[in-house]
Amino acid sequence: MNATVASEYSAERHSVPIEHRFNPYSDNGGTVLGIAGEDFAVLAGDTRQVVGYSINTRYEPRVFDVGDNIVMTANGFDADGAALIDRFRNSLKWYKFDHNGKRLSILSAARYIQHLLYGKRFFPYYVSTLIAGLDDEGRGAVYSYDPVGSYEREQCRAGGAAASLIMPFLDNQVNFKNQYVPGSDGKKKKELRYLSLEEVIQLVRDAFTSATERHIYVGDGLEILIVTKEGVRTEYFPLKRD
Amino acid sequence: MSDPFSINGGAAVAMVGKDCIAIACDTRLGSQSLGLANNFEKVFQMGKTTFLGLTGLATDVITLREDFRLKNNLYKLREEREMEPKTLANLVSTSLYERRFGPYFVSPIVAGLGKGGQPFICGFDLIGCIDFAKDFIVSGTASDQLYGTCESLYEPNLEPEDLFETISQALLNAVDRDALSGWGAVVYVVTKEKVVRRVLRTRQD
Amino acid sequence: MNHDPYVWGRPDDAVYGAYNHAIANASSHGNVQEETSFPKMNSQQPIITGTSVNSIKFKDGVIVAADNMGSYGSLLRFNNIERIFKVGKETVVGVSGDISDFQQIQRLLDELEITEEIYDNDGGHNLRAPNVHEYLTRVLYNRRSKMDPLWNAVVVAGFNDDKTPFLRYVDLLGVTYGLSAICTGFGAHLAIPLLRQLVPDDKDYQNVTEEQAREAIINCMKVLFYRDARSSDKFTLVTLKQGQPPKFEKDLRCENQNWRFAKDLVGYGSTQL
Repeated sequence: MNATVASEYSAERHSVPIEHRFNPYSDNGGTVLGIAGEDFAVLAGDTRQVVGYSINTRYEPRVFDVGDNIVMTANGFDADGAALIDRFRNSLKWYKFDHNGKRLSILSAARYIQHLLYGKRFFPYYVSTLIAGLDDEGRGAVYSYDPVGSYEREQCRAGGAAASLIMPFLDNQVNFKNQYVPGSDGKKKKELRYLSLEEVIQLVRDAFTSATERHIYVGDGLEILIVTKEGVRTEYFPLKRD
Repeated sequence: MSDPFSINGGAAVAMVGKDCIAIACDTRLGSQSLGLANNFEKVFQMGKTTFLGLTGLATDVITLREDFRLKNNLYKLREEREMEPKTLANLVSTSLYERRFGPYFVSPIVAGLGKGGQPFICGFDLIGCIDFAKDFIVSGTASDQLYGTCESLYEPNLEPEDLFETISQALLNAVDRDALSGWGAVVYVVTKEKVVRRVLRTRQD
Repeated sequence: MNHDPYVWGRPDDAVYGAYNHAIANASSHGNVQEETSFPKMNSQQPIITGTSVNSIKFKDGVIVAADNMGSYGSLLRFNNIERIFKVGKETVVGVSGDISDFQQIQRLLDELEITEEIYDNDGGHNLRAPNVHEYLTRVLYNRRSKMDPLWNAVVVAGFNDDKTPFLRYVDLLGVTYGLSAICTGFGAHLAIPLLRQLVPDDKDYQNVTEEQAREAIINCMKVLFYRDARSSDKFTLVTLKQGQPPKFEKDLRCENQNWRFAKDLVGYGSTQL
């Protein structure tokens, strides 16, 4: 019962109207990764932007310091990502105007972003969103979202093109999944502990070099934003450019 | 969800170590999201130190397992010797290409030790294009996840025991992030002296 | 139990009746009967088009070039289209894609320039390239969000507030990026590799002279004329230099063309071996 047909050829003649819909989305590749530590959190992303098989640029930051010790990324379709982050930054600005410069807690920021995303439930932002910062007790926090605002606080999360490559590695190395105490015959799980910042940065670098090796949408550069109670700082490491 | 490769689910992986190889698979058989069996192994021993792994459409996995068992037995009768992994690889390749325009929906991998005991692994696409690799080969519905874990956990020249730990962790953590794989796992570690088969305890969800 | 995940958690049609898809303009899931009226028609396709815009930064400025052709499909419809124009004192915008949408953009930016001149007369704050680019990005993104896009890829060239060269891209979807060498359309495939030889890394533009940049861009225009069937050898080249008004050079021609390679071409509709 198809009343319309799709066709690439505009000159072709049909007995029914040709349907050719404008596609408002594109995939700009890239991958992102957030890990929460005891008193810090990191959000990392590669700096390559692509469309199809073309590399647009080797350096376009995709992780941003949005203020109030919160870092944010919205990876997937870059125009939507930029729009979402712009909207959040703007809201934060007005929040401060309206509430005498009050600091927005990461808990509230997280809930607010859910509403930003769900507000476009029927024309979604095509992004996987991550925010990172410190909670009210000063512990590291990472929140992750699906495109329409379903969210969760986690210890770590990978998003974007190579999320499926990185996430099982994180399960294993951050949450010690499938690791047992030697000699316990698989009865005793390896005890969870917080990783130090140095360990976390090494893990992030390993994750991204591996993803770069096997995914064409990942590479060029790795930018890590680190949140501590002193503030946000950035580290950059080159990745393979092939 | 009519992709033949992801109806039944399953994953397999092979790795090269120092004078040894390891090959492993999960044991799930499913029908889309429904789990049917937890004893569906996907790695088959073709000779003393030669193994074949088959993931993809389960009916083709069984068909090809039997087809290669037949061809392997005929080879042994005629040649009065065992098939080398390299020979098996070429047999798999040509057998798949015979069905170039009506292929079996499988992603085979081959692993074994050659005549001099030198490690050999390789993988194929569904029409027999061989991927010779020096380090590891992955296949199945969890192949993305396996690429991630293998690429970051693997290092060259591992001793058999370390290779076992590496391939097991790579497989287990990968299948735990794939809804269509898991439900048990089997690992073979192959050295010149012996073949060790271990059945792993895994998550059952 | 119905095992299809699609129906999980949905109200049972037998109990509640079928879902009314008119609510919140939810799509009708292919049920043509429900679509009583003809679909709303918005986004078109590009009609008269301009091909690549090519640009590169150099030590103290930017060079932008685009040819003067307007194509109607494969027909050479116009040969006098100026696709690069000035906005404010020291910014130029180069546009590829649909020409009528380009003219709309031109009108919008002319208007922007006028309002900025009226309301910002303290002398210190000029309308600069980053502002023009941000404005254009919002316009293009909002139009794509209305499913009625302006069918263009745009390059904005000029200077930052600190006088360093600025070069940034935005397209019909609202996707943006900045780089030391930007080409749209076919240029992204054919010209970018030539330009990136000059600026392998983003910051390398600081070692590029105006002469080198100019030579590279002119070479790109020639290469594109060889292989892009929708291009012409007549083009406009604009040079932006710090503290000077943009220099427009119109009606330039691709010089020293060499078509000897053409006789060796085989296939693609020419002679076969």
